[in-house]
Amino acid sequence: MIVAIIILLTFFSLAGLPIFAGIMGAAMLGLHASGVDFSAIAIEIFRLANAPVLLAIPLFTFAGYLLSEGQTSTRLVRFSRSLFGWLPGGLGVVALVSSAFFTAITGATGITIIALGGLLLPALVSEKYREPFSLGLVTSSGSLGLLFPPSLPIILYGFVSGVSIEKLFLAGLLPGILIVGSLCLFSVFMGKRWKLETPPFSFSEFLLALKEAAWEIPIPFLILVGIYSGFCTATEAAALTVVYVLILKTLVFRELALLSDVPRIMLSSMKMVGGIMIVLGAALGFTNFLVDAFVPMKLFEFLKGMIESRIAFLVVLNLFLLLVGCMMDIFSAILVVVPLMIPLAEKFHVDPVHLGVIFLANLGIGYNTPPVGLNLFIASSRFERPIVDLYRATVPFLLVLLLTLALITYWPSLSLILPRWIH
Amino acid sequence: MKILARINTAIARFEGWLLILFLSLMVLLTFIQVFLRSLFIYAHMGWANDLMGNLDWAEPFVRLLVLWVTFLGASLVTGENKHIKIDLLTQIIPASWRPPLDVLLSLAGALVAALMFKASLFYVGTEMTFGGKLFLGVPNWIGQLILPAGFLLIAFRFLVRGLFSALGMLGRATP
Repeated sequence: MIVAIIILLTFFSLAGLPIFAGIMGAAMLGLHASGVDFSAIAIEIFRLANAPVLLAIPLFTFAGYLLSEGQTSTRLVRFSRSLFGWLPGGLGVVALVSSAFFTAITGATGITIIALGGLLLPALVSEKYREPFSLGLVTSSGSLGLLFPPSLPIILYGFVSGVSIEKLFLAGLLPGILIVGSLCLFSVFMGKRWKLETPPFSFSEFLLALKEAAWEIPIPFLILVGIYSGFCTATEAAALTVVYVLILKTLVFRELALLSDVPRIMLSSMKMVGGIMIVLGAALGFTNFLVDAFVPMKLFEFLKGMIESRIAFLVVLNLFLLLVGCMMDIFSAILVVVPLMIPLAEKFHVDPVHLGVIFLANLGIGYNTPPVGLNLFIASSRFERPIVDLYRATVPFLLVLLLTLALITYWPSLSLILPRWIH
Repeated sequence: MKILARINTAIARFEGWLLILFLSLMVLLTFIQVFLRSLFIYAHMGWANDLMGNLDWAEPFVRLLVLWVTFLGASLVTGENKHIKIDLLTQIIPASWRPPLDVLLSLAGALVAALMFKASLFYVGTEMTFGGKLFLGVPNWIGQLILPAGFLLIAFRFLVRGLFSALGMLGRATP
């Protein structure tokens, strides 16, 4: 009977049953088998009301949704174009840097391609960048800023793993710069090879663009300074960001109307939050059952025979996360897999802060991997191209990303030096 | 069927207003706390500190709102069929299989939500007898009411969707 239900549940989950329902179903099965009342899941879900850090999620999401409307994207692209446009392959660099920045300030909720792609792809093609290259670049830039504050996946990882968000924000900086930097180098290399023409650097245009974008560029830096100077917590920084962005959008730029646009954006952002947080609630219930049933320990006993060194564990982890990243979105993947991996990683002496950076870099690549990478679908519908074109276009970028992933995974100091230096 | 669709929309509109209200409260209360603390620390205004002492309920209240927003948002997302899911099979199967699969999935979702409704009702019941206080003398179980209420709403939305896809399958107009 139980086996039949497990098979049915797996089938339903693969066929499109909402992930939260699949996880809750699995938790119920487990509890039923161990003779515990289902209200154990309800108790775990109520923990959502006892974690101060979770408040940062609705607040940063709302701020991100506000920033994704209006002309913020145009101002960012103009600014980075004035700064990097003169480099060989410069427009590619512009696309990568502005996408990473935009992903970071909008909390990595998957809107970058929609907001920036329509701007960047035609620009790239009109400056004689090959079309597959341009498509691949814009598509893979959709998940670049994941490691920069205040990305939601970082906050979720911090909550699930118990690692302080403040440490994680710092740990992600250098690896994030490595990823964006490597792709930029790739673009410069191709730009040189194709001998593309680039406009000369213009100081007056730079000043004009800077003046326009001067309100929005400082946002991530203000968040970092606010947190690390001890002025406010990450959650309070989120509330300050909301107020700042609201003033910007309704009073300074007058792009959004306070009484019509803002409530509409509030509603759509809170639906997104509900969709993520209900999975978090379900995952809490499921994890509780797993821990009670000693599943992480059994998993360790099982793996111990096959995996002996730390390096071997990291290799298996990389491959496993790539697989997970192909199937699941980054939010559910973090919520379901992290609780299982934390005790294992501890046994293999992997620092939980480093583990977080590996998770995010790894799962971020999953956005671009066939068959079901989210970026591929978003780009396919946004640019009206068949998905197979996008598979081909993203391959060279995937290779660069995998290279950086290897560096990030097997060179822990890259992630750990900043948090250690601060504390 | 028209009545059911109308009830569904009316509830959704009410949930939407609650979401907007709750998010506004989250922003406002958190902002006020930072503001008052800064006044006290950097401008040495004693009254700001006193006022903060009277606002000690704001932090647990805002945390509770996170839970309420979760369920209201999740219930609206259920109605719009926009939950996070693994969409592997839908790419492969023939288009004609979609509607019956949709009915099946909606029923499965409704079953899970209904079981959770029952479980959380039991949970709230125990808290009513034994539970402590949240803040300002409000008992715990009031804050927990969103669990059964939320699951009830989610189950209702799944059922409505299942019903409407079934009607669509039979070639009847869906409201």
